[in-house]
Amino acid sequence: MDREKILVSEQVLQVPFCYSAGGVVSRFLLGLAEECTIYGIRCPACARVYVPPRATCGRCFVENTEWVPLSGAGVIETFTEVNYTETVHPLPAPFWIGVIRLDGADTGMVHLLRTGEGFEPGIGRRVRAVFARKRSGRILDISHFEPISSK
Amino acid sequence: MTERLLDVTVNTRYPYRYSCGTIASEFFAALRDEKKILGRKCPACGRVYIPPRPVCGPCWSPTTEWVEIGPQGVLECFTVVTFTFLDPMTGRTRPVPYGYGMIRLDGSQARFQHFLEESDPGKLRVGLRVEAVFAPERKGSLSDIQHFRIVE
Repeated sequence: MDREKILVSEQVLQVPFCYSAGGVVSRFLLGLAEECTIYGIRCPACARVYVPPRATCGRCFVENTEWVPLSGAGVIETFTEVNYTETVHPLPAPFWIGVIRLDGADTGMVHLLRTGEGFEPGIGRRVRAVFARKRSGRILDISHFEPISSK
Repeated sequence: MTERLLDVTVNTRYPYRYSCGTIASEFFAALRDEKKILGRKCPACGRVYIPPRPVCGPCWSPTTEWVEIGPQGVLECFTVVTFTFLDPMTGRTRPVPYGYGMIRLDGSQARFQHFLEESDPGKLRVGLRVEAVFAPERKGSLSDIQHFRIVE
């Protein structure tokens, strides 16, 4: 059979879904949208600060109650470069995703690292959150993290 | 906590494509260009496969011959779908209710799955004669058969 007679099947899967963010994450997302502030939540027993916040301390099984505003600056704990474009990604490739431990937090959060010119992510590099102009209470209200270069 | 609760909404879309290969390409081209349903015959055991396959499952012989089958057949089982979901062929929902059945086309022992025109379970029964209705616009895919309708 001629090669040019081979057909290609083009299909599309769509997976729309929606869930309640719950009280704790809603408070966190509203902090992003309305105050441009990243909040952590502190365990009253062990004092660990969780970012993103969670309702219960994983170690102590105690309800977390105290909200802690953070500066939005932190360090890259680990990162990867994404080299292919997928519809599920927030950006076209190439771009970086990193785990950032914010100052004052005891956990790392996953977010985008800026792909601007001359930017090379590295473990231990200091970065800060850049907020999106249009914010609607979602994790991408933080547009990305950019390097803090003034040193 | 907070007075206001937010929702997290995600609408993921995965477009994908794959080669139909030589056998299925010929099958789809016949649907599209000639409104013919072609099965693939095993030279060893005589089974006719629909959808066609390049190798016979029990004999492991390459299938060698195209045979025209249908467009009529017998409804062997059916269901009526009343809960809407996203069709992976199109990424859209199909309006409910609709019938879905397995049809043994004349000239083949294999059962072929497709939509049924009739969606009233009271009017469907196993053993009914049904017939393929071709779509007015055909693109070389399984949806070139629009559905099967009951033959009066």
